[in-house]
Amino acid sequence: MFSFALKNILFYKGRSITTFILTFISAILFIVYVSMMDGSHDSMLKNSLKIYSGAIEIYHKDYRDIGGNEYLIRDVESIEKKLSLVDGVELFSSRYETYGLLSFGDNSMASMVVGIEPKKEEQLTQLKVALVDGEYLKYGSQNCLYIGSGVAKRLKVKIGDEISFIGGASDNSFVADIFMVYGVFKTGLSEFDDSATFVSRDYFDKLMLSKNIASYITVKVKDLDRVDEINSEIIKLLNDENLESLTWKTLMKSMVETMEVDSIFGYISLSLFLVVIFFVIMIYGFINVSSRIKEFGVLRCVGLSKKHIFLLLFYEIFILSTFALILATPIAGYICYYYSINPIVIEGMAEMYKDYGIVSDEIPFSFDIFTISWNISLIYGLNILSIIYPYFYINSFKSIEASRHV
Amino acid sequence: MFKLILKMAWKNSFLRLSRTLLVVLMISVSMSMMLGIAGLYDGMTLNMIDKTKRSESGDLSIYAKDYRVQKDIKYRIENAWSIKKELEKRDGVEAVVLRIKADGLVSTARKSSFASIIGIDLDDEERFGRFSEFLKKGEIDLSKRGAIIGIELAKTLKVRIGSKLVFSTQDISGEINSMALKVKGIVHTTNIGLDTGAVFIDKQKLHRFLGTKPDEAIQIAIKSEDKKLLEILKAKYPALEVKNFLELQPMLKQMQDMMLIFNGVSFAIVMGVVFIGILGVMYVSILDRIREFGIMLGVGMHYKYIRLQIILESLFVGLTGYISGAVLGVVLLIYLRDYGLDFSAFSDALAMWGYESTIKGTIKISYFTNTFVAIMSASMLSVIIPLRKIKKLNPIDVIKAEK
Repeated sequence: MFSFALKNILFYKGRSITTFILTFISAILFIVYVSMMDGSHDSMLKNSLKIYSGAIEIYHKDYRDIGGNEYLIRDVESIEKKLSLVDGVELFSSRYETYGLLSFGDNSMASMVVGIEPKKEEQLTQLKVALVDGEYLKYGSQNCLYIGSGVAKRLKVKIGDEISFIGGASDNSFVADIFMVYGVFKTGLSEFDDSATFVSRDYFDKLMLSKNIASYITVKVKDLDRVDEINSEIIKLLNDENLESLTWKTLMKSMVETMEVDSIFGYISLSLFLVVIFFVIMIYGFINVSSRIKEFGVLRCVGLSKKHIFLLLFYEIFILSTFALILATPIAGYICYYYSINPIVIEGMAEMYKDYGIVSDEIPFSFDIFTISWNISLIYGLNILSIIYPYFYINSFKSIEASRHV
Repeated sequence: MFKLILKMAWKNSFLRLSRTLLVVLMISVSMSMMLGIAGLYDGMTLNMIDKTKRSESGDLSIYAKDYRVQKDIKYRIENAWSIKKELEKRDGVEAVVLRIKADGLVSTARKSSFASIIGIDLDDEERFGRFSEFLKKGEIDLSKRGAIIGIELAKTLKVRIGSKLVFSTQDISGEINSMALKVKGIVHTTNIGLDTGAVFIDKQKLHRFLGTKPDEAIQIAIKSEDKKLLEILKAKYPALEVKNFLELQPMLKQMQDMMLIFNGVSFAIVMGVVFIGILGVMYVSILDRIREFGIMLGVGMHYKYIRLQIILESLFVGLTGYISGAVLGVVLLIYLRDYGLDFSAFSDALAMWGYESTIKGTIKISYFTNTFVAIMSASMLSVIIPLRKIKKLNPIDVIKAEK
């Protein structure tokens, strides 16, 4: 039956070429489109995780919902000791976040001022890489302030300028100090660059009375795919109902949902092309079958069952699809692989979409064998579905009637 | 003769009913899906544009030079009130609003966030952009200490109707001032900047707080369809910055352009594939009847009549597909326009991007006219190859040939 199908394919060239070309085009389109969509989503996520957010963050319960100094983590050291025992944890660091007023000359603005461990943050985030002027913080930097480019622009300050700070300490007392601009960073995340400033924790803790106190602890994991497993381990080890350990999936819920919505729209658009191509393959299959009614009648008369007829049609479409996919998959795979290493760059995209958290002009593709495999399986499935109607059409004829068909 | 050819073409179009119905189904399904997708995507963009115009930029906006770069209340329009009066007298200007704005820190007892305080006149805003339609919770009331805040800002601050806020910012003399406010309403404008960071209060109250004069403004927003107004205002107020909507919101312009390109490319690909489908059916249909055409040529029928018959057959198939696709498309588009697609499960994400949780479509006549031209063209083009085959026919050989 297989060789019979192969001969039919070679005989009915028009149908074979059309099916081959359409399958080839739809496979390439599908694989490349899904790769681009997944790649851009991965990139958005990784960029966000790299800049400031952690893969896992540990908070005191209600800090995120209610906020306030009574919901700060009060025993950072003991938690950090426990975290160092978790195998999947690569690095962690505590942060003390507060909002205060910064002033320079006639200019004032509200800012998020964060006490950080500079050395650890260097490995956890892109803060040091984002340096555009001056220097990055180091342990013992004293009253040095590392400020976002937007803050520098707003306050009209340069390296070495002194900025006054007014805020509230961890015991709700009023604090004021003078900081010196030490470095300016630009991550590309506009809201962050326009509002965030950093001070080394060793100095900031003395000012804010926040030694061994943190707003939260950020954790970098060795393998992002194992984040849920590692988080469960952390929760088990912390064993404290006043603490909550959250993964990026919860912390960046809106971004995760955005990706899901974007994927839905992507698949809606893609389905249009696949449906049209499916119809055309079915039409060509149907035209082919309807011109072979006599042939099928004769085959039935000489003893072939309906199952054999189905098998014949199945082999025909299977062979055609396989040939098209054997050619299309490496080409599409190479395109995905190439652009996963050398992302497409759209100049000005990050600037244009900065309000939406887009920080890079690059659109990298994703190269994932599993994704490519299911893309191919779907094309196979659609092509096989396209023989259902022609099959029922043939079977609507009786064997004798079909063998006499003109 | 033409009547006879028309009759023959009609009958032959549906001679092989299953085959023709498959083509009609292909055209109608692909066309209705394409119209639905185009309508949905255009609807999303148009909705954003409409609400951004109504809530912020209008069709044109006037700022003091340098304000848009420096974002400082130093850069304000001094004679804004008289400009507003002048503009309102002009033909084609539907509404004008003055707004005063300052950036600062908004705090509750536990949370703080960066925000912009915007002084508005509720009556003017209602005329300008039906402001009350943005209300999600509470009421439109700026009396006493009343404030209306953006929906995302309310989420960030974890505030409800009745919650107290303190807004701190610099006034025109450089002094840091704070004002206590009470949340009276929460709005969802789908304008991402306003939803995430706007605190609306009464304009006169903000003038007093900032120390600005009542006839000053940061922005004059104008609602007008007059395309020439931009150039007129630029010439009239050279000391000010006059910008149209697309200059103020280049991202929305780019989104609109991208949708146009996407819809255009989708349209071309789908019509290309539809063309291949019609071509296959017409080609086989003609091959099936090659003997019939040979006889027609043999009995003296001119080639041009056969050509006309085949073109008409193809057009009938295309037209039937188009009509069924248009009917399906209209139903789909009306559904999308009236009910939309409910993405409530992703409302947080959509709000973050400035979309509503129910995404509604739009209907444009151009969807149907463009598709009509494309399908009829595809139908016409699909018969070129079969016609060439008939033209080369030798009637005697064809008649003699076995069926």
